[in-house]
This record gives sequence, structure tokens and C-alpha cells, in this order.
Amino acid sequence: MKNIKYIMFAMCILLIWSCKPEVFPPIGDPQNVVKDIQGTWSLNKVTQIDQDATTKGFPYKQLDITSVYPYTELLITFLGDAQGNPSTFTITNGNSPKIADLTSGNWTVDDPKAPASITLKNGTVTNTLTLGSYANLKAGKLTIKRDKKLNGKVLLSYQYEFIKK
Amino acid sequence: MKKLVLSILCSLTVALAFGQAKVTFSPATFTAEDEVTITLDITGIDALSGQTALYIWAFSNDGVGGGKNALLNGEWGSSSEAAKMTMVSTNIFKYKFTGTTFFGQSPAELINFGFLAKTKDGSKQSPDFKPYKFDPLVFTPSQFRLFPAKIDYSDMATVYFHQDLATDVNLQRMYNVKVNLVFYNEAGDAVVGSKASIVAKKESNILYSYSFIPERVITIPAGTKLGKFSYQFVGNVKDTNGADIATTGPVTEVVYTVFN
Repeated sequence: MKNIKYIMFAMCILLIWSCKPEVFPPIGDPQNVVKDIQGTWSLNKVTQIDQDATTKGFPYKQLDITSVYPYTELLITFLGDAQGNPSTFTITNGNSPKIADLTSGNWTVDDPKAPASITLKNGTVTNTLTLGSYANLKAGKLTIKRDKKLNGKVLLSYQYEFIKK
Repeated sequence: MKKLVLSILCSLTVALAFGQAKVTFSPATFTAEDEVTITLDITGIDALSGQTALYIWAFSNDGVGGGKNALLNGEWGSSSEAAKMTMVSTNIFKYKFTGTTFFGQSPAELINFGFLAKTKDGSKQSPDFKPYKFDPLVFTPSQFRLFPAKIDYSDMATVYFHQDLATDVNLQRMYNVKVNLVFYNEAGDAVVGSKASIVAKKESNILYSYSFIPERVITIPAGTKLGKFSYQFVGNVKDTNGADIATTGPVTEVVYTVFN
């Protein structure tokens, strides 16, 4: 009985002794999403999403329309200034249908540290695109979405998936 | 001949008299379970000119069967106070309702509705404003389908023919399936362009489709906006001698949505 007490005591000491603060490795530099967006991107996939059907749980929610017209000819280039801030953009449609009302102008983001949307602007014409997952940006994939609304309700979206050139 | 001329003149007079009345909805699209506000501008309706108290008289499912008068209409000679429209400003009246409770019908029963505005005693009234469709809450498979359901004329549209759902024998047997497209101006009263006999994509043994953006199908003159388009699936069936004969499906019209 006495031995069991000693063994238990020794085990407690061992357990307490084995506890020590865990050393976390450095998390590295934060991802610079704005910098990652900069470059020339080639359109790889276009998906049309019926948001109203999605909301109502109807079948036929989305359709891959990439092959209907030569969407993959479309190139978009986002340039940055010397400080890495968004500056100008160009869209070369080729024979692809237009994905925005503009072909050139300036681009901005809503939040430089964690952008959720990209705004394309030229004069009074403005197009807002929603930015997709950051995770794929590092892998050279950019996903942006364009919503079409009626009285504030999104009824239709286009999801564009780009590959970095 | 005299009667015909008189009829045409009467029709034109009525059309002109009611021509300016305007109906808008908020939200612009709604299901039978959504609360919707009708805004009625009675400018141009001489019969109601100067009225400050108007009552709605609504009815469901115009022309499709299973229609009912709204529960709150009251009697024609004495509208219910619950049917009174709110006067917003001169000639502008509003009324808020939810389809299912307004008509006492289920979402599955409600397809469309119409209404008119009247004085309480029914001595003066507007023309009928109809039919306004409720967005479906339940998906109903049909032989012809558009994807996505709401598009404007710059969008990609895909029209489908589900042959397994066809009720007409010729459509069930149709092969060499093609599509006819006709595009109309913003007012919907003039053809901007058309293209016939476009070969449909055979997605499976029972499904045909065609995807298009209008500007890739027809030449749209600069400054012209499209208000609607129609599509029709056509093809061939064999006659008793095994020869091809042409057959056509019904024409389906699609009104473009104006996104904002």
C-alpha cells in the first residue's frame, strides 16, 4: 500500500515535470493579398450561378459556361505602384465575351490588408468584383465573382477562375 | 365598317386614357409568401382623377384557373377598409400585402394576380392591372426551361428542352432538334433580330439545350436595349412512310430582368 503511494507520488512529479511551455514556430510574414493579386491572369473557368435557385433549394443551381464561347482568351492585368498599392488594370477580351464593362482604368480594394472586393473604375463607370479564397492566390489561382442584383437581392452571379501567367 | 372604326377609336381612347398609369412593386420580384408593396400612379386615369381615397380590388390566378378574389376586397359596392390604399402624394397610392394571406391560398396554388383601384362605392375604377406572376417557391419540372431564371440581355442564357417531359407526341418523337430565337426591343413590340434553325446541343437522349448571349446571335444596333426574347424548339418526325416532316414546339417568351 505504502509502495503504491510512492509510485503515485512519483508519477505526479513526473507529470508536472513533463509540462513545459510549447514553443510555437514563427508564423511568418502576413500574406500580402494585394501584392499577390498583381500580375497577368488568364481566365480558366466561368460558372454561372442562379442565386435565387440556390436560396430556394431548386435543382439547376449553377452551370459551367466556359466552353460556350472562347472565355479562355480573356486576360486581365492588375498593376501596382512602387509601394505595391493597386494602380491600373487592363482587360484584353480577345474573342471572349466581356466580363466587365471596362477594359482599362484603375483598380482599388476595399481593405488593403484583407480585401474582400476589387473595384474597377474608369471615369464614371465602376464595376465591383468579389474576391474569392486567398488560399489559392499563392498557388497562382485567382477567383473573383460578379453579382447581379435586383433591389439589393443577388439573383445571379458569375464566378471567374483565373490562372496566373 | 362604321362599328369597326368606332370600336378601334374606343379602344384607342381607352388605351390613351389609361396609358400613363404605372404599377411598380417593391421588391420587384416576390413569392407568394413575401410581403410586397404595390405603388400605383393613377396619372392618366381620368376616371380616378382627383380621388384621395382608393381601394384595391385584387384577384388571383387570372386566366390560369383556380382564381379567387382577395379576402379583404369586401363588397363591390362597399370596399372593406382593410383594402384602402395609402395615398402617398397626389395620384400615388400604395398597398402592402402578402399573397398567401391576401388571397387565402397556398403558395402552390398562387400563380399570378391582378388588381384594380376603385372608389369605395365602386362608382369609379381603374382598368385591370394584370397578370403579375408570383415567383415559384417550389420547383416544377417542365419540358422547357431557362437557366438562369433571371437574366438581362447581356447575360448568357441557356434554354433547355426536356423531351421526357413533353406531352405532345410529336415533341416526344422529335429529332434533329433545332432552336429558333427572336429578340425584341425594350418596349417588346418590335423585333430587333432573329435566328432560326440553330442546332441544339444534345446533352443526353432526353435533353437538348442551347446557350447564347444575344449579341453573339444577332447584331444589336448601338443604343438598342432588348426587352425580351422568345425561343422555340423545332425538328423532325417521321411520317407513316418514314419520310421526315417538320414539327415545332410552342413559342416561349422570356422577359429580361433589369438589374439595378
